[in-house]
Amino acid sequence: MKERMSTPAVEVSNLTKVFSLGLRKEYVVAVDNLSFRVEAGEVYGLIGPNGSGKSTTMKVVLGLMAASKGSAKVFGLDSGDIRARNEIGFLPENPYFYKHLTGAETLRFYGKLCGMRGAALAKRTAELLKLVDLEGAANRRLGGYSKGMLQRIGLAQALVQHPRLVILDEPTAGVDPIGSRQIRDLILRLRDEGYTVFLCSHLLEQVQEVCDRVGILFRGRMRREGTLDELIAIEGQTTLTLEGASPALLERLRATVAEEGAEVLAEGHPRTSLEQLFIQIAERGGEENQPS
Amino acid sequence: MRPVPLFSPGRVATIASGTVTQLIRMKTFYFLLAFALVVVAAGNFNLPATPAQELSMIKKVSFGTMDLFAWLFAIVATALLIPRDQEDRTLYTILSKPVRRVEYLLGKLGGVLVVVGVSLVAMYAICATMIGVRESLFVAAEVEAMQADGRYSEEDIAGQVGLIRQQGLRPELAIAVLAFFLKAAVVAAVTIFLSTFASSSLFTIIVSILVFLVGHAHTMASSFWLHESGNSAFVRMLVKVVKILIPDFQLFAFSEGVVLGEAVVWPLVWQMGGLTLAYLAVFLLLSLLVFVDKEF
Repeated sequence: MKERMSTPAVEVSNLTKVFSLGLRKEYVVAVDNLSFRVEAGEVYGLIGPNGSGKSTTMKVVLGLMAASKGSAKVFGLDSGDIRARNEIGFLPENPYFYKHLTGAETLRFYGKLCGMRGAALAKRTAELLKLVDLEGAANRRLGGYSKGMLQRIGLAQALVQHPRLVILDEPTAGVDPIGSRQIRDLILRLRDEGYTVFLCSHLLEQVQEVCDRVGILFRGRMRREGTLDELIAIEGQTTLTLEGASPALLERLRATVAEEGAEVLAEGHPRTSLEQLFIQIAERGGEENQPS
Repeated sequence: MRPVPLFSPGRVATIASGTVTQLIRMKTFYFLLAFALVVVAAGNFNLPATPAQELSMIKKVSFGTMDLFAWLFAIVATALLIPRDQEDRTLYTILSKPVRRVEYLLGKLGGVLVVVGVSLVAMYAICATMIGVRESLFVAAEVEAMQADGRYSEEDIAGQVGLIRQQGLRPELAIAVLAFFLKAAVVAAVTIFLSTFASSSLFTIIVSILVFLVGHAHTMASSFWLHESGNSAFVRMLVKVVKILIPDFQLFAFSEGVVLGEAVVWPLVWQMGGLTLAYLAVFLLLSLLVFVDKEF
């Protein structure tokens, strides 16, 4: 527990990754002197446009790629150390698992790779299928899974060995809003259960909803980093949302604001997001179809 | 931090059994049906030949097909597995678990060899059934014909039966099957090595088949180019390099004699076993050298 509190889950120091382009002696700097830490127990989001170096950084952290310069450590161990990988659960972007395996077989396969066997593995498989809501599809081959189901079984395989760190690369890429919401809820649940989550995404709204801290990567360099409040709060402005306010009350408020020398910059009805609206309609539709 | 063993046979076995499941569910065993058809067809040729010659022909066709299926299957199955894992990114999720790359390679090779081994046993069973049935029919017909003729003694009949049995189902045939398996194992190891740096399955399959063919011409080519006085030093060196890099598949050629009823030369069998192990070790080591630092 002491280690969990003091050692960062991920520590990237002065990481540089250079790719050579074939025999032309040309080089591309994918990641340039990057440093950041992901503290144990937090949800950290690395955001940036395509080609900004997010996936390369992740691959170095996972030990799938070596750094050209600098280092990446996982719970104090070099990312190339096999013991570090025992602490990591990884969900790649657009995961393609073995299509010939069923959902339950997939979890058993990855569990066995982590040294799990017998009753413990069977129990963990059942738990995870329940967690990702795929109990009904446990014995169906992955070839017949939808994109959202594949993402969820991918998340389940990432968690199979009880890792302390979960790395998610574009976890909701190509998933519909309901599937996306399920994955987002799972990430929040993981945080509540004490997992450290490190995710890469270019879906900013999603990152904003789940991350404690965010790093903004652009052309291989960290441009901004901090908590969401630090990054997106506008200094000197306050939002007040009222319900059931009469026109008279609003008029009095405007007058008070003017008397105090402040200014009302915007006034109107708060709006729901299109995603929220879609989910509400879908949920209502689902309830109406329930047998009474 | 949870301990992770340096090398885990359990992880190798998991990857091997996953490979076996993958190959089975790709319906690869359907080729056994094609093999059974070839054997049944060979067993029903009605050639103007003696029973012994006819049995010899059945064995040649059946065991030749068995050999072809074994090495071709080893190449195709091996070439499909690693590049596909890489293209589908399944490799990312496997290597991001506590799996060493050597365990992954051994598991893939092991899985292919299990399927090749099981296939060879099944093909041998089909062959043995066909040869056994034909042998019994030939012996019964020959004995009946010789006895009906009345001119032949018991010794003559026994001699004739012996000639048929010589080309029939004999335990030595299992050695030929073992040779096919070991040859397929070496081919699979070469293919694994090629697939660690090849970018596609097609390239791997073509180059592996080329290596296999060159490996058969080893002895002939080296005796021609190394001992001909007119060849330059460069050609000689090139031939020596090829000799070192490409396995000598003539090593397994004695199995043809065994199929035709020749006695098993045991020192050759031991030499084959030893060299197969050496080839497997060398090609796995080379594969690992490429694969261990490969970036995905």
